[in-house]
Amino acid sequence: MPLLGALLISTWPQKIESDQVRQGALITLGVNLVMTAVLVAQFDITDSGLQFLEKLAWMEPLGLTYSLGVDGIALPLVVINSLLCFVSAYISHGVRRPRLYYALLLLIASAVAGAFLAQNLLLFFLFYELELIPLYLLIAIWGGERRGYAATKFLIYTAFSGILILGAFLGLVLLSGTGSFDYDPSLAQTLTMGQQTVLLGVLIIGFGIKIPLFPFHTWLPDAHVEASTPMSVLLAGVLLKLGTYGLLRFCVGLFPQAWMALSPLLAWWAVVSVLYGSLAAIAQTDMKKMVAYSSVGHMGYILLAAAAITPLSILGTVLQMVSHGLISALMFLLVGVVYKKTGTRDLTVLRGLMAPERGLPFIGSLMVLGAMASAGIPGMIGFISEFIVFRGSFESQAPQTLFCMLGSGLTSVYFLLMINRVFFGRLDAAPDGTGGTIEVTLPKVSWRDRIPAMTLVLIIFAFGLQPAWLTRWMESTTNSFVPNYVNPVMSIGEASGGTLNGISNSGAIAKVSSF
Amino acid sequence: MQFLIQWSWLIPVYGLVGALLALPWATRLIRQTGPRPAMYINVVMTALATVHGALLLQAVWYTGPQVVSYEWLQVAGLDLSASLDLSEVNLIFLGLTAGLSLLAQMYGMGYLEKDWALARFFALMGFFEAAISGVILSSSLFSTYFLLEMLTLSTYLLVGFWYAQPLVITAARDAFLTKRIGDVLLLMGLVVLSAYAGSLRFDDLYMWVKDADIAPVAATLTGLALIAGPTGKCAQFPLHLWLDEAMEGPSPASILRNSAVVTCGAYVLIKLQPVVVISPITLDVLIAIGATTAVGASLVALAQIDFKRAFSYATSAYIGLVFVAVGTEWPGVALLLLFAHAVARALIFMSIGAVVYTTHNQDLTELGGIWSRMPATTLTYLTGALGLTGVLPFGCFWAFALGIDFLWADHPVLVGVFLLVNFLSTLNLVRVFRLVFLGKPQVKTRRTPEVGWLMAVPMMTLSIFVLILPFGLRQVSLLPPPEYFNMAALALLVGSGILGTGLGFYLPLNRAWSRSSVAPLRWVQDLLGNDFYTEKLYELTVVRLVSQLSALSNWIDRYVVDGAVNFVGAVSLFGGESLKYSASGQSQSYILTIVAGVGLLVLMTTWTLW
Repeated sequence: MPLLGALLISTWPQKIESDQVRQGALITLGVNLVMTAVLVAQFDITDSGLQFLEKLAWMEPLGLTYSLGVDGIALPLVVINSLLCFVSAYISHGVRRPRLYYALLLLIASAVAGAFLAQNLLLFFLFYELELIPLYLLIAIWGGERRGYAATKFLIYTAFSGILILGAFLGLVLLSGTGSFDYDPSLAQTLTMGQQTVLLGVLIIGFGIKIPLFPFHTWLPDAHVEASTPMSVLLAGVLLKLGTYGLLRFCVGLFPQAWMALSPLLAWWAVVSVLYGSLAAIAQTDMKKMVAYSSVGHMGYILLAAAAITPLSILGTVLQMVSHGLISALMFLLVGVVYKKTGTRDLTVLRGLMAPERGLPFIGSLMVLGAMASAGIPGMIGFISEFIVFRGSFESQAPQTLFCMLGSGLTSVYFLLMINRVFFGRLDAAPDGTGGTIEVTLPKVSWRDRIPAMTLVLIIFAFGLQPAWLTRWMESTTNSFVPNYVNPVMSIGEASGGTLNGISNSGAIAKVSSF
Repeated sequence: MQFLIQWSWLIPVYGLVGALLALPWATRLIRQTGPRPAMYINVVMTALATVHGALLLQAVWYTGPQVVSYEWLQVAGLDLSASLDLSEVNLIFLGLTAGLSLLAQMYGMGYLEKDWALARFFALMGFFEAAISGVILSSSLFSTYFLLEMLTLSTYLLVGFWYAQPLVITAARDAFLTKRIGDVLLLMGLVVLSAYAGSLRFDDLYMWVKDADIAPVAATLTGLALIAGPTGKCAQFPLHLWLDEAMEGPSPASILRNSAVVTCGAYVLIKLQPVVVISPITLDVLIAIGATTAVGASLVALAQIDFKRAFSYATSAYIGLVFVAVGTEWPGVALLLLFAHAVARALIFMSIGAVVYTTHNQDLTELGGIWSRMPATTLTYLTGALGLTGVLPFGCFWAFALGIDFLWADHPVLVGVFLLVNFLSTLNLVRVFRLVFLGKPQVKTRRTPEVGWLMAVPMMTLSIFVLILPFGLRQVSLLPPPEYFNMAALALLVGSGILGTGLGFYLPLNRAWSRSSVAPLRWVQDLLGNDFYTEKLYELTVVRLVSQLSALSNWIDRYVVDGAVNFVGAVSLFGGESLKYSASGQSQSYILTIVAGVGLLVLMTTWTLW
């Protein structure tokens, strides 16, 4: 199983001299995807703990071991990573300096997978940092006009986040007095509440930069705008999830008591982040910036659900990570196609792209679906993940949940504005420079551009209509993630649902709590 | 029989399958055949749904109501299941909506035969039909919400069907956003109920309400959130704007929107009513919303010069009466009114569509004298008008009579509302009839041939249905015998209708000066014509608030947050630039600094030992 990471690392330097680099990368990532699928097939969904544990001693004196493992939280994220890396390699063609480009892409793929799988704090940190440099280079070399500024901003922000995380990990291990950095939920048990709170605060800010949460988010729109389409897909779809994954695994997982104490405040922070991101998205005139700010809003839901810390809301966080990964990747893909065909992403310029024959009707239709998925229209994955987030969070953070739901309404406002401006209306004739006009006929969108977006749409629909296909992988882990959860308010209601759910822990707990 | 019931989940699926099958044509993957196969597929699918529903009704009539449940998602103590409730009432309303959808699709085959996007239209209609029939049959609030949102989406796409026109763009946007406001509030109610009651099945909710102890404030807020959804769907004040703008869409969709969709929303409200009783304030709010919309929209309808909009407001008014009936806890009246209104309103919109199709015009001031040229359309309009008003004993007459009868003792004011709506809507129907069908032919109505059979057949079918509806109602003994009725109430009802008709014929109508030359009258006319300036009001309040807030957050983002970041960046760069001149190059001073620094650190870390 951890061969997966190893395989990638060992294969990334395979640089064939020619354009076949892309095919090499595709094959590597394809194999990776297949291996992930095999992993999924062998995954035991009734086991809530780690599976496929692999442990190699590396630098014992430092407490660093190469230990990997997967559970119901990491598994879907690993799958998303494999999928989106494949997609972004697929949609990159004709790039300059292909050898470096694909090598960096593969490096990101393996680093992110490693971070999701790492069961050692230091190892996680190493992978977390490892992903940073390639992405910096990918933005700085293959980005847009202000790529230097954006890439440096990204680098400084994320490096800062890395330092905070490292500091918190070191502090935790030193204070707890163990010599090993291995992941262990009981690590913080011996610490006083004050120490826990400080360490947790540092960690939250560290991951908050990565997620990003208001006010640490400004690197994201800049990075997205300057990054090329495949990078935006990766950044929104996978890399942001490192932050939320860290939040869940290391903040909630290591400091449950301190987290509980802070949770109302964190939920209000989520409210601010959601509303701020959504409102800022309305004011944007660049399509990519709009999608980027929508990410700020949607990642706020994850903080909300994590702060609520009920079995349902923890499930919601994972579900929302997957759903946001798929939907934002789809949106960036489509914006990328629009940019490629029209040469602009400016909402004040684009009009009537839905026009048949001359416009981009197919991409427009997919964009409508993507926007609706993001706005939480049922039938697509965005709805069920948001519903579970809200339903789970309401139990412990009621007012904050209701405020966050307003963000769900605002999502439809900005995406609708975008669709109305860009795709509806008349496709105008452009001035030809001599006083007359020429009919605008946009180039046809090839199937190569359509297939990745269609695949994502199909996945979004499949999981939206049958969310059980997705939740079954996560449920046992997320249920046991909140070990001594006792539903404070709604114990009667929970019991009626819980009795049907005999296999899970929460069912048993809910039954107990009702007596 | 059992077979039919087991496969009843197919009813919403038929439309969906039709929509999916139409996709290759809608996306123009198949071009050789033209878009017509997509059209036939969807009509057949809707027909299947209708027939299946009718057979089920027959089966259920003998076996009694059946509930069919399907597990959807059970996770972490949350149980979300979809279930269909096959009761007689549900199936009758399914028959109504599916039948109307079938007729509207047949009508659309004629109406849109020359449109290039025919396949897309029918795919959307299939989707629409699936959502509507699902909502009607659904017996859990969760699946109802699920399907209502699909309905919102399909309304958006149908209103935005002719997306190249500027008015259509704003109409589609407003339709989606106003409904979405209601839906988000409904979702809040849903989450609250789900957390408190544990289940979202209507039966469980009804049980829960009986002995729920929930703070009055929370109960009121939940109740208000629950009714927000239907308020948006039914175009009730204050979420009524979209229906009138939605009239920019194609007529066959308008037929459904004014009959089946609003019925759907009100039907959900009727299902929610036993839950909403948890807060008495909510019931009062329902009555207030309904009465305001009923009177306000009836008045606004009078001042419209657009053929379709004149009646879209009337639709809001009638559904307002349904809200009143639900608020006063007379669901029987609400159901009867909904049914009678839906068929008659569909008929009115079919005749409107026929006129618009032939004249390519929906401006009332430019129409006239059509009756002799389009007799079938004229008859359709008249039948629809009969079905809608309380003058002669057709559909809505009985609904009004029942309503007035029940409200007679306890709510005399609401009786007045019923009578006023009857009066105003009769007046409006007569006014429009005179403008469009009577009088001399206008420039644009000289050549107006009757529509083809594809449109005429649904019109005639529905006309006959409206005419025989009272006998049908009597047959299934839904109507009490006439002697049971309060004669004074009946007299008042008929009187208000006759007054409306008379005034409608007497009112001077001048096409050239449709805007009155008398100043106070003109002011009133403008006020009504612009829907009490509601749109302006929203622009000044809600829309402005959101856009100001978004501009503010954007400003904060650019100048405060990012400004701070860039400032830190600039300071450190500047600091580095200026500090580089302070480096002397003497290694002694470097060592001194290091030693001092380390000493300080040692001092700080060992502070506690001292």
